[in-house]
Amino acid sequence: MSRVLNVVLAHTPPAEIARLAAWWGNVAAPESLLLIHGGPEADFPAIAVPNKVHVSSARLKTGDHPRERQSYTEVFAAASEWMKGRDFTHVYFAEFDHLPIVADLGRRQLERLASEKADVLCHGLRRVDDTGWHHYLYHSKAPEFHRHWERISRRADKRVIFSMLGTGSFWMRPAFDAVAAEKEPFPMYLEIYLPTLAHHLGYRVRSFVGEEQWVRNLGCFRGKLREARLAGAWTVHPVKSLEGLRWGGE
Amino acid sequence: MKRFLIRKFRDFGLAVARQFASDLVDFRTGKKIGRALLLPWRGRIHVIGLDEAVQVAFIPQKRLTFWRQEIGFTVHPPSDFPHEPRS
Repeated sequence: MSRVLNVVLAHTPPAEIARLAAWWGNVAAPESLLLIHGGPEADFPAIAVPNKVHVSSARLKTGDHPRERQSYTEVFAAASEWMKGRDFTHVYFAEFDHLPIVADLGRRQLERLASEKADVLCHGLRRVDDTGWHHYLYHSKAPEFHRHWERISRRADKRVIFSMLGTGSFWMRPAFDAVAAEKEPFPMYLEIYLPTLAHHLGYRVRSFVGEEQWVRNLGCFRGKLREARLAGAWTVHPVKSLEGLRWGGE
Repeated sequence: MKRFLIRKFRDFGLAVARQFASDLVDFRTGKKIGRALLLPWRGRIHVIGLDEAVQVAFIPQKRLTFWRQEIGFTVHPPSDFPHEPRS
């Protein structure tokens, strides 16, 4: 029996997090939702969510995410630690502004994972080694970058590097736990680090094909949720605030 | 505010550059893979406005020419690596 834990990362004020939790309540039972709070620690007690963990990490609170190499390593580690002794089989990780818009999201993700025979599904997955992809060029300047992957990889081709959009990803629990257990040897941007690590640990990483139009790094889909749902989207990114939005009646 | 202004200035510069950009075509498949302005400068080629993960290579030739070679562009095929369990 599959059981999905929805891990939602938010740094917004408690009132916005309450709206977010209510939104997620249309998709998952409260016991299947874990809120990772990356905002001010003083806000944490006011967050009315049954399952919550505060993560205070300088690598999370970046301003210019790629240049400062934002990291979710501590977020994944906190979620993995929280899951110990709990029987979740899969993890869906989402940033606060990556919203689900279908009630049976977990079922759809499980079916897609099975049809892709994948261990990890993510958005915007692309292979970037030896290309002009900006994040790759920024990392490959450091000699230890490729050396690290050559050292830990169990793949025949140890030069493969991936990039993804880090806003949402779906994981088999063993893959999630294995990635969470790894220590970042030096700062790497999460959009490069997470898919590349999963790949070199031997997990099959695939893209959420068909979701590209509604999951982007820039823009705002706040006024287009109905359109997205009618177009067949499962999730949308970004939607920065839920104020004034109502599930199904946006 | 400073970052906002820098971004606006960059967006404006990119919009201008894209007026002079050309299509990049995958030399293996013939498909369009993006648009960019290519500027040779001080022994390097500056690629401006490209938003795809593109590789660069000299294109193999059917006919041997000593005086001209082409630099072309291509992309990795969609990744499809199997699960490889820990041995």
